[in-house]
Amino acid sequence: MRVAVTGTPGTGKTTATARLDTDLDVVHLNDVIKSEGFSTGVDEERGSLVADMDAVAEWLDGRDDVLFESHLAHNFEADRVAVLRAHPDTVVDRLRGRGDSDSKAYENAESEALDVVLSEAVHHHGTDSVYEIDTTDRDPDAVADAVSAVVAGEVEPSAGTVSYVDWL
Amino acid sequence: MSEAENDGIWGVAHVHASFNNTIITITDQTGAETLAKSSGGTVVKQNRDEASPYAAMQMAEVVAEKALDRGVEGVDVRVRGPGGNQQTSPGPGAQATIRALARAGLEIGRIEDVTPTPHDGTRAPKNSGF
Ligand SMILES: Nc1ncnc2c1ncn2[C@@H]1O[C@H](COP(=O)(O)OP(=O)(O)O)[C@@H](O)[C@H]1O
Ligand SMILES: [Mg+2]
Repeated sequence: MRVAVTGTPGTGKTTATARLDTDLDVVHLNDVIKSEGFSTGVDEERGSLVADMDAVAEWLDGRDDVLFESHLAHNFEADRVAVLRAHPDTVVDRLRGRGDSDSKAYENAESEALDVVLSEAVHHHGTDSVYEIDTTDRDPDAVADAVSAVVAGEVEPSAGTVSYVDWL
Repeated sequence: MSEAENDGIWGVAHVHASFNNTIITITDQTGAETLAKSSGGTVVKQNRDEASPYAAMQMAEVVAEKALDRGVEGVDVRVRGPGGNQQTSPGPGAQATIRALARAGLEIGRIEDVTPTPHDGTRAPKNSGF
């Protein structure tokens, strides 16, 4: 079983997956990209490495019983894809609370309002493999439980259950 | 205001294309004045029929008509959202919206994709994924 946990930065992926009680290997892909040097360049404006997707895919290849989390996780082969969601104002609050810049918080919030990650996840995996989880008013343990339910196959796939377009 | 005074205004059509909604706003070139707006909630969440390209096209027609009434002759288009660049995504899509704006009589100028990029110390290259 391979599970991807994706979602806009600030939706709480790293926090929730760190609390997960699971037999799967939990991999934080952003850390792997940095430590293994899986990048093809630098986006100076965003202070981000441009990920080398082929290198990441190759690194993941052959790893089974793994759960990988990142806002890029939906770009890789997986049996199930959990998409964490949060209201854009919540994304801003959490990212600023974590010490991120206003511009980073705002661009991620706008991405969240436009369902960018969800749309990409459905584009790559189809609605049968995508599980949307709204984290807006849930504490990290509740989010971890919701991810566990996806891993255990206890919930039905869902996509498009939240809408934050009013924020725009 | 007579029609002659308003003749030849060039505006900007902002198309927000999310997973199951499309919002269209036409502003002046500075973005300061809204000349026409699709009514909020026209496309209801979780209603896949309402999220069809047909619904987006109908909205585009209404917005184009309002803009033409206010003397807008043509628009540059700014698309935000994956509906705009992933033809196979389930969003209503921006392409149908732009075609409808043109069919309703608006001239279409520059089309720009200004979809935001999720980033967190890493970001995907453009057009990534298997
Ligand atoms: N469910 C939650 N409720 C409230 N705050 C949260 C929740 N999950 C995470 N946070 C906080 O929000 C910030 C971003 O969380 P993080 O796990 O780093 O998100 P991501 O990995 O998705 O970018 C952190 O400061 C974290 O403590
Ligand atoms: Mg993280």
